[in-house]
Amino acid sequence: MVEKPSTGEKVFKIINYTLLSLLGFITFYPFFYILILSLNDGYDALKGGLYFWPRVFTFDNYIKAFEDPLILNAFGVTIFRTVVGTFLCVFLTALAGYALSRKDLPGRGIITFFFFFTTIFTGGLIPFFILLRSLRLTSSIWIYILPYLYQFFNIIIMRTYFQTIPNELRESATIDGCGELKIFLKIYLPLSLPMIATITLFYGVGHWNDWFVGAFFVSDKKLKPAATILQKILSETNFEQATDTNRMNYNINRAKTTPEALRMAFLMIITLPIVCIYPFLQKYFVKGVMIGSIKG
Amino acid sequence: MKTMTAKIPKNKLEKRNKRKLVWKRIKKYKILYLFLLPAITFYFVFGYIPMYGVTLAFKDFRFDTGILMSPWVGLKYVKKFFDYFQFELLIRNSFVISFLKLIIGFPAPIILALMLNEVRINKFKRVIQTVTYLPYFVSWVVVATIFSKFLSPHQGLFNDLRMAMGEEPIFFLGFAKWFYIVIISSDIWKNIGFNSIIYLAALSSIDPMLYEASAIDGAGKWKRLIHITLPAIMPTVGILFILSMSGLLKAGYEQIILFQQPPTIPVSEVLETYSVKVGLQQGQYSYATVVGLFQSIVSLILIVVTNKIAKKVSNTSLW
Repeated sequence: MVEKPSTGEKVFKIINYTLLSLLGFITFYPFFYILILSLNDGYDALKGGLYFWPRVFTFDNYIKAFEDPLILNAFGVTIFRTVVGTFLCVFLTALAGYALSRKDLPGRGIITFFFFFTTIFTGGLIPFFILLRSLRLTSSIWIYILPYLYQFFNIIIMRTYFQTIPNELRESATIDGCGELKIFLKIYLPLSLPMIATITLFYGVGHWNDWFVGAFFVSDKKLKPAATILQKILSETNFEQATDTNRMNYNINRAKTTPEALRMAFLMIITLPIVCIYPFLQKYFVKGVMIGSIKG
Repeated sequence: MKTMTAKIPKNKLEKRNKRKLVWKRIKKYKILYLFLLPAITFYFVFGYIPMYGVTLAFKDFRFDTGILMSPWVGLKYVKKFFDYFQFELLIRNSFVISFLKLIIGFPAPIILALMLNEVRINKFKRVIQTVTYLPYFVSWVVVATIFSKFLSPHQGLFNDLRMAMGEEPIFFLGFAKWFYIVIISSDIWKNIGFNSIIYLAALSSIDPMLYEASAIDGAGKWKRLIHITLPAIMPTVGILFILSMSGLLKAGYEQIILFQQPPTIPVSEVLETYSVKVGLQQGQYSYATVVGLFQSIVSLILIVVTNKIAKKVSNTSLW
């Protein structure tokens, strides 16, 4: 199509590109800014004026952040729940999605509605919390995993994706003597890797970022995940109160770092894994969200 | 009468046969039901048992007896909630925050998608998309920290700029009048990119022939937007609008808890944060359940009503 751009269109183009670039900058710069602060000497940073490059480059803040046993333990909790939780979530969600993708399954609609209804009406926070308490989950690491195994939206994404796989594949496998589990594991899962990657990202990020459960449902310090500790450190005006007072002071004096610089390092440590992983999964989750948006 | 008696055994027989058939079918799918068993158990335990737990709103909760055996107290806590001197304030704040998010935060990703859709340089498009999706994947804790860092009166970037222009620094997060602006802008900053994906998908499915034909007919950019692009994405907009409406009383408690400062509580306390405070922090379980129940019921009504209206107006609906 040959079309001569009018002046109006040219102006529109310039404005469009400028605004989008500006949006990109506004989104990107804050992360970059935190990175600079975390890589700069803490006392030097107090002088201000750090905007585009570290002035006194150092890894001290990161080293000190990792020396605190409480923080290390918190990362242990986070890694455990992220790995185990995500694996279970993805596997079980895919299983449920596979079963619901079978249009011939009796009661399919009723079961879907049974799941769906919990997304539009809930008992609320307190009955949920009392349930967790009476199941003794509030003093167990499984509190991060068991009550959050499924998300309705993800089941639907999985179901919709499985429905795009031709039925003939399953039929011929059945004739060859494959059972449902084998068909699911050997045919459907390998064929749905993009979608598996998508919901792995969604569940994984959810586990990695969650601070609420650790902050309000759990009281044992050793069970608190990194995001909860981070939130505590950040909200406390006095940093030392959040971790062990004496040891922190000792560390800070020895390491020439400030609470503020440590905060920035901690913020970066918790953000970096996501920043590194998600661009690789981007094309998959874009597709996943598209599929999820199709009413199935 | 005779015909009736003759019919009954036949009916019974049919029923029995039918039941047998159903059983046979269910047996045939037993493995698939087994696949669903964990999900059914999960939703029963963590979704439906707490629904029963809402009876707590009409009971005096005691830990030693549990929800079942706790004594009934009727509307005691419902009354207490309605009589609470800041009841109206809670409702107002909840509505104002979520309403502002809806009218500003809902169209924002649509506009972004329309803008991205006009970009012809693919690399540029991809970079902007990758960057704007990012904040969706970091936690509110990180976003709140970044914002408070930038808005801080001491060495915050915004106040540095203000001071460079010879103006006084402002404690943005400490003043009620700035609170909503911070909440809305951080919400848009975090979600705009990711929420634009669905609209981009809808846009990419529009047949380019339509644009070509309209260009031949002499339609300009604006006319094409009104007559082709917008109608094409309307169903998607509709569905997502219904979904957001159901959340109209959910102002986003994570975000608010993290941004809340003592001086902003009069404008920032919403049903959800109040329920967390009186329930999880002060241990007033029955009272906090009333607050949560109130919110659930209003949400349910909102989603049902919006769904009905949407069905009538535009033929889009969730169910």
